[in-house]
Amino acid sequence: MESLQPSDSALIDLYLAGRESAFAQLLQRHQARVFTTIHLVVRDEDLANDLTQDTFIKAIRTLKSGRYQDEGKFGSWLCRIAHNLAIDAFRRAKRAPQTSLDDNIGLANSLHLSEESADDVLTREESHAQLRQLIQELPAAQKEVLLMRHYGDMSFQEIADATGVSINTALGRMRYALINLRKKMAAYSLLYDTNLTPPDVASLRLQRIAS
Amino acid sequence: MIQTLPHPTLLRYVYNELPANEQQEIEDALLHDSELAEACAEMLLAQRTLDGLARAPRPATTATILQYSRTFLR
Repeated sequence: MESLQPSDSALIDLYLAGRESAFAQLLQRHQARVFTTIHLVVRDEDLANDLTQDTFIKAIRTLKSGRYQDEGKFGSWLCRIAHNLAIDAFRRAKRAPQTSLDDNIGLANSLHLSEESADDVLTREESHAQLRQLIQELPAAQKEVLLMRHYGDMSFQEIADATGVSINTALGRMRYALINLRKKMAAYSLLYDTNLTPPDVASLRLQRIAS
Repeated sequence: MIQTLPHPTLLRYVYNELPANEQQEIEDALLHDSELAEACAEMLLAQRTLDGLARAPRPATTATILQYSRTFLR
């Protein structure tokens, strides 16, 4: 079914031909990935919204000025912009620290949208807030690869190219990021996913193949 | 088998980056190697958990971006 969706490249062509709804689709498709990439770096809801806006504005300018080189990697390109903007903002914030690291703002929004009990939502949001904190504690290089690969949808080779390391180094950093995250989660008695029972290998494998 | 299939390969497998022949090789190995299957399950669980952190921007942010796109002059 996924193949029925127009590709990013097709949507870009339509957008450049004047169809605004094509851009709305691109935005819909990539906004959560962009926002999450940024939010996990800057950890500030307002700033993450601003930088998401800046990322797409930069993309619009590049697309409409004809400077975008379409290599079928729109999502990766977008997330690279997002990541760079987030890192710049993070560095600026470190020089002039502020105090609004508001990981729980999304909670109010999710409470009424969910059919889960308020307690369940609260527990999950707390776990997510803790997990976000643990990601912050990863060494910078590991965190960078994790965000780029998982949320930025960049391949390990693209990450290697973007960060100036070999693909094996990028893979190694990702591996250690996951190992370290697992150790930290264990130390805080956090589970990977509270909706899952201990690993059911067969169903996970099927799930992966289906995806 | 887990000693001969390094985790980097497994990582590329769970992120769908392996060519078809190597992917098949891993899937065959998963059937016979419980350690490898466990490591794979662990990575898939990590993926799912990380997916849970994904969040969307506020509707107002989305609206501002769409508005900018509509009014941007080349």
